[in-house]
Amino acid sequence: MGRTQRVRRLAVASAAILCLVVSGCSGDDDDAGGGGSPSGAMQMWERTGGNAPMVDALVAAWNAENPDRPIELTYVQHDQMVPNLSRAIASGDVPDLMGLDLIYGPQFASLGHLEDITDVIGNDPNLATASPGHIEVATWDDRLYGVPLYADVSVLFWNKDLFREAGLDPEVPPRNLTDIHDMAKAITAVGDGNYGYYLPGNCAGCNIFTFAPLIWASDKNAKIEPTGPGDEPLVGTSIKPVLEWARMMHKEGLIDPAAQAETGETFAEVFGSGKVGIMGTGNFNVALLQDQNPDLDLGVTVLPGLQTGQASSFAGGDIVTVPKGSDRVEDAVDFMKWLLTDEIQLEVYAKELNMTTRTDMLDNEYFNANEDVADTAKAIPLGRTPYTVKFFELINSPNGPWLQMLQRVYYTDDSIDEIIADAKEQMKTIVAQE
Amino acid sequence: MYASKRRSRIGLAYLAPAVLFVLVFTAYPFIRMVWLSLHNWSLLAEPTYVGLDNFSRAFDDDQFWTSLKFTLTYTILITPILIVGGYLVALLTAPNTVLRRLTRTIVFLPVVIGLGASSLLWYWLFSPRSGLVNAALTDLGLIDKPVLWLGVDTNVSNWAVIISVVWKVLGFGMLLFVAAIQAIPAEISESAMVDGASYWQRVRRLILPLTMPTVLFVTLVSVIGSLLAFDQFFLMTAGQPHNETATSVFYVYLNSFPFLRLGYGAALSLLLAAIILVFTIIQTALARRSSL
Repeated sequence: MGRTQRVRRLAVASAAILCLVVSGCSGDDDDAGGGGSPSGAMQMWERTGGNAPMVDALVAAWNAENPDRPIELTYVQHDQMVPNLSRAIASGDVPDLMGLDLIYGPQFASLGHLEDITDVIGNDPNLATASPGHIEVATWDDRLYGVPLYADVSVLFWNKDLFREAGLDPEVPPRNLTDIHDMAKAITAVGDGNYGYYLPGNCAGCNIFTFAPLIWASDKNAKIEPTGPGDEPLVGTSIKPVLEWARMMHKEGLIDPAAQAETGETFAEVFGSGKVGIMGTGNFNVALLQDQNPDLDLGVTVLPGLQTGQASSFAGGDIVTVPKGSDRVEDAVDFMKWLLTDEIQLEVYAKELNMTTRTDMLDNEYFNANEDVADTAKAIPLGRTPYTVKFFELINSPNGPWLQMLQRVYYTDDSIDEIIADAKEQMKTIVAQE
Repeated sequence: MYASKRRSRIGLAYLAPAVLFVLVFTAYPFIRMVWLSLHNWSLLAEPTYVGLDNFSRAFDDDQFWTSLKFTLTYTILITPILIVGGYLVALLTAPNTVLRRLTRTIVFLPVVIGLGASSLLWYWLFSPRSGLVNAALTDLGLIDKPVLWLGVDTNVSNWAVIISVVWKVLGFGMLLFVAAIQAIPAEISESAMVDGASYWQRVRRLILPLTMPTVLFVTLVSVIGSLLAFDQFFLMTAGQPHNETATSVFYVYLNSFPFLRLGYGAALSLLLAAIILVFTIIQTALARRSSL
């Protein structure tokens, strides 16, 4: 063999090896857990975040009871969940179970990417008391596409120590928005860097979680988001008065000016600083606060409306769904039914002081042993979730109309009517886009 | 004739791996992006052909121009700081002594940190309630109430991000400048000294001209990097206030992933690539002229 021939063969071999490497790299990849496994294991995707210990506990309990069909859980970076899922659906390589941020339920169900479980789950009696906010967004055209995986609810915290310092009765929570204003004024007057209330100025998600319920509580028919094209956003009698209330809170200096820069990164730590009198936050903050600042005398109540007796909450968390294309629908639905059983509600959810996902399980020994958790759980039946096919663009985006509207209310002197009209226009444009 | 053809084939075989690599990892994705830019596709539904609609839509999209303008402003502000700052530090630390080597190491250290990690670090340093920057300024008596560094005022946010990025990448340029300065033969500098040239005369008339190719290279890299800025703004300002600190790539990201408008995102990417190409051509032309 001549030298030239050897070199030529070497070059051809190199090209062939590169081809093999490239084709090997571009082949099917099950690392991310896609596709039904023939081994009996079900693949499940869940987003990362504070929910992980809860979901880990659920999966561990399921696997202990079902060794023949265990769940292999893969966490996906929470802000990459929708793109990853979309790619999986487009490629047909889907997991068998998927923990989906509940606000995306209508979007995925409307496009036919979730398995309709209505007939498979049948008349499971526990569905009747499952978290109403979760069930609403898991339903499309009267068909069910998922059940609650875990629940986050928003509530109102008050700092009893600051109430005492301000000469307020620490055992009496604010019962309406006027109370919040008056109490916040008294607390702010204490000085020393204390502020009465807190509204995060740069966090769309924090505001839909803690500010929107003030609107919903004040008018149960109020609606912020358009469901789809042709639907009117920002309707209801409470939109304008609650926005005016928020502007008044800012104008009177009852909210820490630093809140204007709050992107959500430090939202959970704000109340623990002990410098905020009243603040809307979530159930996840109860355990965090008890852990980080056990000396703080905490009170928890529901988020109120303009009038006493009105209350609401944001039902957050995940629904568990079956992506279209999974061949393990029956096993997946068995897991869903199992999640809603009394035993799991009590011995996994409640025991770990996570919110139960059934409203008839709130009165339990674990919650009753912790007053703050018990008070937080009262928000579960009040939970509501925006129902739209474009939640991120409309509400959650830092660049979306919801946050822009609130920022103009909080930090400008623009007319509230004009602000609402502009936000309506932006929202309608977004839902009209393909 | 036969030998010539055979040589051509051998040449092609040699080139095949590299050509294949470029075809698979550069040409195909680029063609695919062009295809994507001519369609509307959310990944969740079938793509629909829309022709050049995505491009015409970009020209009418105020946010696209706001983002582009902000990106250019950021680039214009940060590039001179990185080049001049990096060069000055390089001049100070180029001679090989223990202290200067240590200084070079310290200045270079942030380069090896990921941009995401350094952005988060600075996000916390700039926190209005618990950040060390405000605490230090307050202790020094320079401010009496916390400065809202990020996401409230466009210019303040921009400068805060610039500070964080300068801290992060200044060492990269410095290292290249040090290498270029050290490559200048000692005799040239010594003969200038013998001729009575002062330090700054030597820098201006000797060191700078001899290191100009490196200066132009670092400028080109810096400009392209700044035009593609994303992580630092995504993490530190989230595009706030009012989307005014959303860079062009940030806007491409928003459209392509959270909004799932892949076609529009691809069209924006192509427009941005064209703009960067123009800048690169101009800079390359300037570099050629200066080397003549």
